[in-house]
Amino acid sequence: MDSLLSGQLLVATLVVGALYALVALGLNLIYGTMRLLNIAHGDLVMLGAYVSYWGFSLASVSPLVSMFVAMALSALLGMAIYVVLVRRALHSTALVARIEANSLLIFFGVSVILQNTAALLFTANPRAYAYLDQVIRIGDAAISANRLVVLVVALVVCVAAILYLRLSMTGLAIRALIQERDAARLAGIEPERIHLLSFALGFAMAALAGSLISMIQQVSPFMGFPFTIAAFVIIILGGLGNLMGSLIGGFLLAAIETYGVALTSASFRSILIYGVFIAVLVWRPQGLFGGARVAR
Amino acid sequence: MHRKSIVTFMALAGLVLAGLAQAAEPVRIGFSLSKTGMFANATPSQLNVYELWKEQVNAAGGLDVAGERRPIEFVSYDDQSNTGNAVKIYEKLITDDKVDLLLAPWGTPFHFAVAAVLERHKFPMIGNSAASVQLREIKPGYIWFPTSAIPDKIAEEMGKLLSSRGVKTVAVTNLQLPFSLEIKQFLMPVLERAGIKVVVDEAYPPGIKDMTAILIKVKNAKPDAVLSLSYPPDSVLYMMTARELGIDAPFQFVLIGPTIDFFAKMFGPAADGIVTVGHWSPHQKAWPKAKPFFDAYVAKFNTRPDYLDSALAYMSVEILEQAVAKAGLDKEKLRRVIASTTFDTINGPVRFDGVQNATTPTMFLQLQAGEAQIVWPPDQATAEIMRKPAWPAQ
Repeated sequence: MDSLLSGQLLVATLVVGALYALVALGLNLIYGTMRLLNIAHGDLVMLGAYVSYWGFSLASVSPLVSMFVAMALSALLGMAIYVVLVRRALHSTALVARIEANSLLIFFGVSVILQNTAALLFTANPRAYAYLDQVIRIGDAAISANRLVVLVVALVVCVAAILYLRLSMTGLAIRALIQERDAARLAGIEPERIHLLSFALGFAMAALAGSLISMIQQVSPFMGFPFTIAAFVIIILGGLGNLMGSLIGGFLLAAIETYGVALTSASFRSILIYGVFIAVLVWRPQGLFGGARVAR
Repeated sequence: MHRKSIVTFMALAGLVLAGLAQAAEPVRIGFSLSKTGMFANATPSQLNVYELWKEQVNAAGGLDVAGERRPIEFVSYDDQSNTGNAVKIYEKLITDDKVDLLLAPWGTPFHFAVAAVLERHKFPMIGNSAASVQLREIKPGYIWFPTSAIPDKIAEEMGKLLSSRGVKTVAVTNLQLPFSLEIKQFLMPVLERAGIKVVVDEAYPPGIKDMTAILIKVKNAKPDAVLSLSYPPDSVLYMMTARELGIDAPFQFVLIGPTIDFFAKMFGPAADGIVTVGHWSPHQKAWPKAKPFFDAYVAKFNTRPDYLDSALAYMSVEILEQAVAKAGLDKEKLRRVIASTTFDTINGPVRFDGVQNATTPTMFLQLQAGEAQIVWPPDQATAEIMRKPAWPAQ
C-alpha cells in the first residue's frame, strides 16, 4: 500500500498525463474553433516522430532541437491543408452545416495519405534511437532523463498554450470563436485568421508530441492511430472545445491507468479507462467541463 | 510486293521474339504481406528477405528448376493486415495470376487462413513466421512450418533453463494476445512441476501506456527471474521501466522485441543479458551459411535482420529453392520432395515430420555485447548464458 503513495507512481502519471494532454490539446483547438474532427491527428504525431528520428540518426541532431523543425513543418502542413481542403467547406453555407461529418471523411483521407506516404518513403521497419536514457533520482522516485524531458516540455507547452489563450488578444479571439462562432464575427473577429492559426497551432502541438515520443518509443508509419483514439477520448471526457478540460482529462486518464492498475490489477487497465469514460458521459454528456451545446 | 515483305518481316520478328521469350521465361512467385495496417511494422523483416533472395538467385543466373535456370519474378499484394484479404489474394494468385510457386504471408493467423486455400487447390507452400500449438492440428499436406519456437516447447525448455540457473521464484507479466497467452498457459504447470514459485502474475491488455504499477509489484517481490511475455510496444515499456526501478533479477526474459534491430539501437548496453526466444544466430559456426546471410542482409538494407522472423523467412526460401531444383514446378512432386528431404539451411539441417520441423530444437537467445547468441540448450549454444548485468549507471 505504501507504494501507492510513492513518488514513482506519481512521476509515471505525470509523464503519461502530460503527453496525453499535449496531444489532446492540439486536437481540441481544431475541433473547438472549427468543429473539425481531425482523425489524422495521430499521424501528425507520427510525422513529428520521424522528423526527430531522422534528425538524430542522420545528423545527430538532438530531438530538443529537431522538435522546432517538426513543429514548423507541421504548422505549414496544417495551414496548407486548411487553405486547400477546408476553407472552401467552411465558406459554403450548405457545407458548413455538415462540416463535422464531412471533416471525418476529409481527415480520414489525409490520414491514409500520410500513413502510406510515410510507409513508402521510410519503409514500415520500426525505428528507435537512444537519447538521454540515463536514470535520474528525484526523491524516492527514479525516472529516465528522456521521460523527464517529455514531462517538462509537454507540461510547459500545455500551460503556455492555456495561458496564451487566457491572456493574449489572439488567444481571447480564439476562445471567443470557440464559444460563440457567429457572434464572434459580429464582434469584429476575423474567423479566417483564427482558423489558420488554430490549424497551425494544433498541428504543431501534435508534431511536438511526436518529437518527444520518438525518444521513448519505437517509430513506425502506423503508430499514430492509438494517439488519435486517446486524444478523442480525452477531449470528449474533458469537454469538446474546453482546453482546460483537455489538460485535466489527460492527467485524469493517466491517473486512472497508473493508480487504477496499482489498486486492482493490470488486466483491469482498459476496463477502468473506458468504464470511467462511459460513466462520466452518462452523468455529464457534455464532458466534465463542457458547456451545454445547442445542436446546430 | 511491298506488303508481302512487311508481313514476312513481322512474321520473322514474331518468331525471334517468341524464341527469346522461350529462353528466359521467368518463374512467377506469388505472396501477400501486410504492407499497411497494424502489422505493417512487423512485415519488413520478412519482405526484405524475399527481396534479398530474389536478388541473390537472379544474380547467380536464375532459379534452378530441375536443371533449367530461370529468373524469379514476384507477384505480390498488400493484404492490409486483414486475414480475409490474404485468403482472397492467395485464391487470386493461384487461379487468376496462375503463379508457379507461392511464398508465405506474415504471421500465425495469416498462415492458418491461407492453409485452407492451399489444401483446396493442392498447392504446396512453405510457411515461416507462424508459431502455435494449433499448427499440429493442420492436416499435413500442403503447408509446412520450420519454426521450433512453439509455445508448449518454449514453456518446457524455459522450465529446464530456469531450473539449471537455480531459479526458485519467478515473476510473470504477460500481454493478452495469442502467442504470449499460449506460452503462459503451458508455462504455469511447467513451473509448478519444477518447484518454482510464481510470486507475481500480472496480465495486461494491449495498448497499455505505462507499466510502473505492475513492475513496482515485481520489484517488491524480489524474484530470481522475471519473464516479460510481451510484444514490442510493451517490451519497450518493460525495459524502460525496469531500468528506472532498477529491477536486478539475474534472469530477465523478454518475449518479442530483442531480436528486432530497433531494440539494440534503442537500448544499447542496457539490453545486454536479456534472454529471448529464437533458434538462429549468425555466430553458430556449425551453420556455415548463417554469417554470410547476416552480412548480405546488413549490406543490402543497412539494418540487421530479425533473428527470428528473418531467419525463418530465409530458411523457407532456401527449402523452396532446394526442393524446386530437385522436383521442378510440378506440385505433387514438390510436395513429396518437401515432405521427405533433409534441407541444408542457414539454421542447419531441416527435415519435416508432418507439418513440423523435426530437427531444429527449441532454443533461447541472449543479447551479449549487442549480439544475439544461442544460450540454450547447452549443446547448441554459441556462448555461455550470463547473469543479467546491472542496468547501466547514469
